Amino acid sequence: MARFFRRRKFCRFTAEGVSQIDYKDLETLKAYVSETGKIVPSRITGTNARYQRQLSTAIKRARFLALLPYTDSHK
Amino acid sequence: MRHYEIVFLVHPDQSEQVPGMVERYTQAIEKDGGKVHRLEDWGRRQLAYPINKIHKAHYVLINAEASAEAVEELTTNFRYNDAVLRNLIIRCDEAVTEESPIMKAENESRERRSRSEQRVERSRDDSESATDDNSDSEADTAEDDAE
Repeated sequence: MARFFRRRKFCRFTAEGVSQIDYKDLETLKAYVSETGKIVPSRITGTNARYQRQLSTAIKRARFLALLPYTDSHK
Repeated sequence: MRHYEIVFLVHPDQSEQVPGMVERYTQAIEKDGGKVHRLEDWGRRQLAYPINKIHKAHYVLINAEASAEAVEELTTNFRYNDAVLRNLIIRCDEAVTEESPIMKAENESRERRSRSEQRVERSRDDSESATDDNSDSEADTAEDDAE
């Protein structure tokens, strides 16, 4: 029986009790963006649905203000 | 009156205009009883991607309580000002006054340096005041003894 015991995923925002994800907090946002600039799905990060929604709007705002890239193929 | 968060990006060649623009906008906000709660100048920052073939821009963040008319005025201002590359106006639930994460990161190295300097000064002050306290207490005990 090949059974993998993966480390349990957990939602950082729930654990920390964040009230609102800030689009200016780039260090946090960068952790939820792939190398190509895509938003990492919650099924991989384990983020709660409520926070995933906040996260996506935060990342999209940051992208609009050129704080985060839309893709890695800019320029 | 509602709370708003306003961010706008200014063309780096028009950076000198920023203080004047900020002044005008704060006046527009405060004209009908609004209030600016937080004003941050992030300075010239590298853009994550080029906008109009520009790679840097001057960022300004304003958190304010403003009337709808003032916000309307700002949006039209932003639209017709060629120096403004982008602007974002978000409605907030409450006044935000604490330093934003970007400003924190921006100031970090500078703050560290100034803090270390302050620490040196403070430690000097502390040692002086400590000696003062000692002399006072000694004087008190001396008086007590006399009585």
